[in-house]
Amino acid sequence: MLSPYRVLDLTNERGLLCGQILGDLGADVIQIEPPGGSSARALGPFLDDRPDPNRSLCWWAYTRNKRSITLDLRRDQGRDVLMRLAARAHFLIESSPPGEMARLGLGYAELAKLNPALIYISISPFGQDGPKASYADSDLIMMAAGGPLMLSGDDDRPPVRLSVPQAYLHASAEGAMAAMIAHHERAHSGLGQHIDVSAQQAVAQATQSNILAVQLNGPELQRASGGVRLGPLHVQLLWPCKDGHVAITYLFGSAIGPFTRRLMEYIHEEGGCDAATRDKDWLRYSELLSTSAEPISEYERLKKVVEAFTMRKTKAELLDAALKRGLLIAPVTTLDEVVNSPQLAARGYWTSIEHPELRRSFRYAGPFAKFSRMPIKYRRRPPLIGEHNREIYTQLGISEGQLAEFARAGVI
Amino acid sequence: MAELPLHDVKILDLMWVMAGPAATRVLADYGAQVIRIESSSRFDTARTISPFKNGVSHLEGSGLFLNMNTGKLGMTLNPGNAKGREVILDLVRWADVVTESFSPKAMRAWGLDYESLRKVKPDLVMLSSCLMGQTGPLSQYAGYGNLAAAIAGFVNLGGWPDRAPAGPFGAYTDYISPRFTATAILAALEYRRRTGEGQYIDQSQAEAALQFLGPAILDYTANGRVQNRGGNRDSVMAPHGVYPATGDDRWIAIACRDDRDWAVLAGAMGNPGLARDSRFATGAVRRSNQDELDRIVSGWTAGFEARALEEKLQAVSVPAHAVQNSADAATDRQLLHRRHFVELEHSTLGSITVEGTRFRLSRTPARIARAAPALGQDTHYVLEKILGYSEDRITELVASGALE
Repeated sequence: MLSPYRVLDLTNERGLLCGQILGDLGADVIQIEPPGGSSARALGPFLDDRPDPNRSLCWWAYTRNKRSITLDLRRDQGRDVLMRLAARAHFLIESSPPGEMARLGLGYAELAKLNPALIYISISPFGQDGPKASYADSDLIMMAAGGPLMLSGDDDRPPVRLSVPQAYLHASAEGAMAAMIAHHERAHSGLGQHIDVSAQQAVAQATQSNILAVQLNGPELQRASGGVRLGPLHVQLLWPCKDGHVAITYLFGSAIGPFTRRLMEYIHEEGGCDAATRDKDWLRYSELLSTSAEPISEYERLKKVVEAFTMRKTKAELLDAALKRGLLIAPVTTLDEVVNSPQLAARGYWTSIEHPELRRSFRYAGPFAKFSRMPIKYRRRPPLIGEHNREIYTQLGISEGQLAEFARAGVI
Repeated sequence: MAELPLHDVKILDLMWVMAGPAATRVLADYGAQVIRIESSSRFDTARTISPFKNGVSHLEGSGLFLNMNTGKLGMTLNPGNAKGREVILDLVRWADVVTESFSPKAMRAWGLDYESLRKVKPDLVMLSSCLMGQTGPLSQYAGYGNLAAAIAGFVNLGGWPDRAPAGPFGAYTDYISPRFTATAILAALEYRRRTGEGQYIDQSQAEAALQFLGPAILDYTANGRVQNRGGNRDSVMAPHGVYPATGDDRWIAIACRDDRDWAVLAGAMGNPGLARDSRFATGAVRRSNQDELDRIVSGWTAGFEARALEEKLQAVSVPAHAVQNSADAATDRQLLHRRHFVELEHSTLGSITVEGTRFRLSRTPARIARAAPALGQDTHYVLEKILGYSEDRITELVASGALE
């Protein structure tokens, strides 16, 4: 869908996913790495646990459908080459510390003079300006700053993050969406613009709007083991079962209450509770609790009833019941179970990519959506460092002799 | 004022709760005209989810609903009613894009599946979003993003290795998939602009979200290793964690990327010798002595107010940030500088606060001006001004129950 367009991707681990999304959609994405390779290549895990810039699985995960060239932007000749590339590109993505590209003479203002139609996407921790724009960052720092961290974890321990870094993926995906908005506008105006993505603001999405709680004059939601705490109520959303854990949306009200009613019917049918427990007013149960018409001790008893029931069942049995009875239950799935899921297999989700230099193929997470007319294809495996230098630079009109000189001087 | 970038995009939005509406919210911020359909018997579940204005559970007071539906038109319509279906077909003729998140069965039963709709509008772009996708043994599996987060592996990866999973907070896949939803729609519109062809997009929220576990998936498919939750520890950085600060349930996140960060932190702690201590001198030994390291760092941080300590450490470029709750966010000088919060006037609630756009476009910025619609607020406007229905026709529709 984006095959007529070229993307220059100057990002490191803070922005790689953005260009990959555009590449999945068909764009010609050129990853521009410093000589020696991107810092993302130093991130593990590594294939066979052998640290090597061409074996970083972090790199692999976010650079398919890209070609790679090396270029030293700290050198005049390197900047010169970048400007020549930028003059004909449609998108440029960068994730340098705010201000660094401008210092190199490669900021939006400079490149827009060469190519007014260029869409220039900057992905940074806190955005390009503001009092924290130059803060030192990491995934954990961003999850703290944007709000989601405070909401997850056990009551008696500090808030806890997801073990697979997430913050820059939120920012990068946001960047791809923003790029497509600007691209749509460019079709009318013929003009590009600068896009400034803040990871802090992007991860705030993961508070489920609870970042607004106090400003709406509502109570602060608090983390709690296996759920959340809202005022005096410890809402439980995760439950142990026979072979692991399940998530159950054990909530009430006009929309979710009917699901809870069906769950209680199921528990009753199997002898897990009495009829009076089954027949509570699940649509109004939150109100009953908040007005103390129902004591919280009774809600605590219900949680134990549910737990005693889930402990008798396996994840698979509970998922099966969820499908058959329309219940809000899902297994808490380990990564091997995810990869071996019959659902994902039936949809042909996992996509093998061949790595000829290793004489092996690997299964990657599949396309982010299924398009009826222009399905996403994984056309290229993640590139080796500078794998496409010759191909791309000679196309740009740089002679073999010049290339050899660039290589000697460390420009590429 | 510059024209908004998506001023020419018209979306009929039959999605609900968060995953779908979060995507069309962004498109509305940038000028798309979005008509959201609810029915009064089956209103959006988001309306029942906290945080609530003034903490009071009320159909119009959900901060989640208000935040997800800013800038959209809202109408009530019953797609199961024959006359309601006719109105939907007129809206399909009007729209460039139809989005929906019903179960695959429901759309076919109403005759509103892609094959039916493209007869009405041949170049339609249609996107269906559901937890597991339109096909496969779990295609009819309905639910919310907290369930997709469990089934897609996220929940198991959040929490302490010696405890039950804690997961990420809430409907985690609903935070990821909207970016892919909006991007997919815009890519399909770009393709239509060049070729005149529409298309159908089948989006599984779980599949979209799995993009965010890429390295861990490859660690299994290539190395056979099943990654598990690891608390706040990192494979490289140490110290790396969430440490106590003064006050009740107050915390600061600190991440030392390398020996320099650690030496500077040790200096800030007034104990520069720690950086040379054989237990802590290199990343590798710090990682193997983390319990002791965390105990020392915690003992020091506990004497500081989180925000003051954040500023002290950031002044020497050590990654640190107070772990912010919504009260902190409301006074976070960076979020305020970026105008992350926007005040709007709501038709029944008065003044409300929503989040602004998470990125800036330099030439054609977002316009966030209209609060989310009250249930059915724009039904008449849509019928009269957008579809051009006569008063008689509208009266007839009201009588038929199609607008309930």
